[in-house]
Amino acid sequence: MPEPLRVVLVDDEAPARALLREYLGAHDGAEVVAECANGFDAVKRISELQPDLVILDVQMPKLDGFEVLELLEPRPAVIFCTAYDEYALQAFEVHAVDYLLKPFGRERLADALDRARERLAMKSKRAPADTPQPPAPSGAALARTARGPGKHAERIVVRDGAQVHVLPADHVDYLEAQDDYVAIHSGGKAHLKHQTLSELAESLDPDRFVRVHRSFVANVERIARIELLAKDQRVAVLHDGRQLPVSRSGHERLKELLG
Amino acid sequence: MHPLLARPARLLLMAATAALFGVALAWVLKLLNPRPWSAALAFAVPLMVIYSFIVLSAWWMCRRQPMTGTASWRPLTAQVSVALQTSAVWVAIGTFWSVAIDKWLYAELSRSAIFADLAVLYVAGIPIYLMSAGAHYLYLAFEASHEAERRVLETEVTAREAELRALRAQLNPHFLFNSLNSINALVGSDPEAARRMCEGLGDFLRRTLALGSRDAVSLGEELGLVERYLGIEQVRFGERLRVERAVDPEAASCRVPPLLLQPLVENAIKHGIQDCVDGGTIRIEARCEAGLLRVVVENPVDEDAPSRRGEGVGLENVRRRLEVFGARDAHLSSGKRGNRFRVTLTLPALAAEVAHA
Repeated sequence: MPEPLRVVLVDDEAPARALLREYLGAHDGAEVVAECANGFDAVKRISELQPDLVILDVQMPKLDGFEVLELLEPRPAVIFCTAYDEYALQAFEVHAVDYLLKPFGRERLADALDRARERLAMKSKRAPADTPQPPAPSGAALARTARGPGKHAERIVVRDGAQVHVLPADHVDYLEAQDDYVAIHSGGKAHLKHQTLSELAESLDPDRFVRVHRSFVANVERIARIELLAKDQRVAVLHDGRQLPVSRSGHERLKELLG
Repeated sequence: MHPLLARPARLLLMAATAALFGVALAWVLKLLNPRPWSAALAFAVPLMVIYSFIVLSAWWMCRRQPMTGTASWRPLTAQVSVALQTSAVWVAIGTFWSVAIDKWLYAELSRSAIFADLAVLYVAGIPIYLMSAGAHYLYLAFEASHEAERRVLETEVTAREAELRALRAQLNPHFLFNSLNSINALVGSDPEAARRMCEGLGDFLRRTLALGSRDAVSLGEELGLVERYLGIEQVRFGERLRVERAVDPEAASCRVPPLLLQPLVENAIKHGIQDCVDGGTIRIEARCEAGLLRVVVENPVDEDAPSRRGEGVGLENVRRRLEVFGARDAHLSSGKRGNRFRVTLTLPALAAEVAHA
């Protein structure tokens, strides 16, 4: 009897989930512990259940597969399963176990499961020893991968316990560094994301988000004016009256952008 | 900018021709009031060359006063009045010129002879300007017909291109892959449904090829194709996909380009239903109003969905095909209102010929 393998299926199409369930039924030890039909649900259930393996669709309502992965900590083993072949490279960049192209047969899934078991066995064997493991890609790397090269994030996904927030980039007023977190100020509320300020800022449109200070990145569309308080001491006043400190180099960057 | 100004060789040719005209003018003046050739030529040739440049101004006038079929007296009177003025300007220049060369070549002529010269100048200046205007009108007409020809050709190429692209988009491989995956799933759980889906998919593909090979189809036929498409997607999306239809029988018999509606419905699923957790309702409306056929495809939009990626190209494709099909009366408008996205097609309501199929 092989090791038990707890699996969560994530696909917005019921027939696709039914197929996976049917195929998995033939594998001893594999147990489907949850089926999710959208990204929000997937983040919640996977966090609760801590499965060994997630079989994940890419295009789904609310969050796509890569965004789901970005919000999971720790990250389970993942097999992507989609009709689109263009995400394959990105999938391997985020250390996916396998990439199944719909439609696929029993054997193909069996191969993927074997790989997943191998990966999991390696991990558990390694865990006590101090063999260095390849570091898992960071959240920022995942987010970058999800977008594809050369594109800017149009939204930021944030997890707050069981709740997931999707913040459209153009609704963000400013970002503020807070220790290991970034506070994302959007519409009068602040959301914390476990990421460095530069990583998050890098993912956003550089024509809109400017590092005005070591700890602040402002959405230039929210800046009403720049005020000079003393020599080389400036603040950016936002439309809602809030003030952000502006460093000398931040001021240079603003000038360059706003001309 | 005048087309001649960019071509020095042609300008030179024009100046040379003007110089010949100048010789003729000199001869006329010499006949009128005898004088040495040198004096006549020194007066007439430079003036004629200068005037040839001045009458190029007819170009701007001709463009401002196009010769249209109906009220052609208006540009005509305008041109004559400009001719009178232009010639007057020429005479003024001629006066200065005669004074300038008076000392060494003109001395032996009487004052009245000089006036006679200027009068000849004025009389000659008017038809010369009008000739220039005529030549410019000819040039503009030639250019316009050239342009029209080019535009017709371009429209044809655009239409063909759009046709090809639409056909290629029709066989969207992801739609096929996902459908095959659904069939794969059904084979285990509900073989009868799997058979029905194979049949539906085959029917949809066959109809796509049949409609795509025609220049125009009835909206009813196009809607039939859309129904088959929706039937297949229904298996994938189940209860998440709901459809409302409001189609006037009169509208259903109108002529439309083939495969125009199906991409819109595909977009409605891809960028609407697929992004919504609980799915939603796609609404398809068609009605005839005041000689125009109006078709609306509306879908829900999830608030968290990023702005509609990749859809611009699809809509642009439909827009271009529509414009090629219905010329000025056809257009596409689209926009988001609240949480629904709506595409409206407007085209002339023409009855479709009965298909010979």
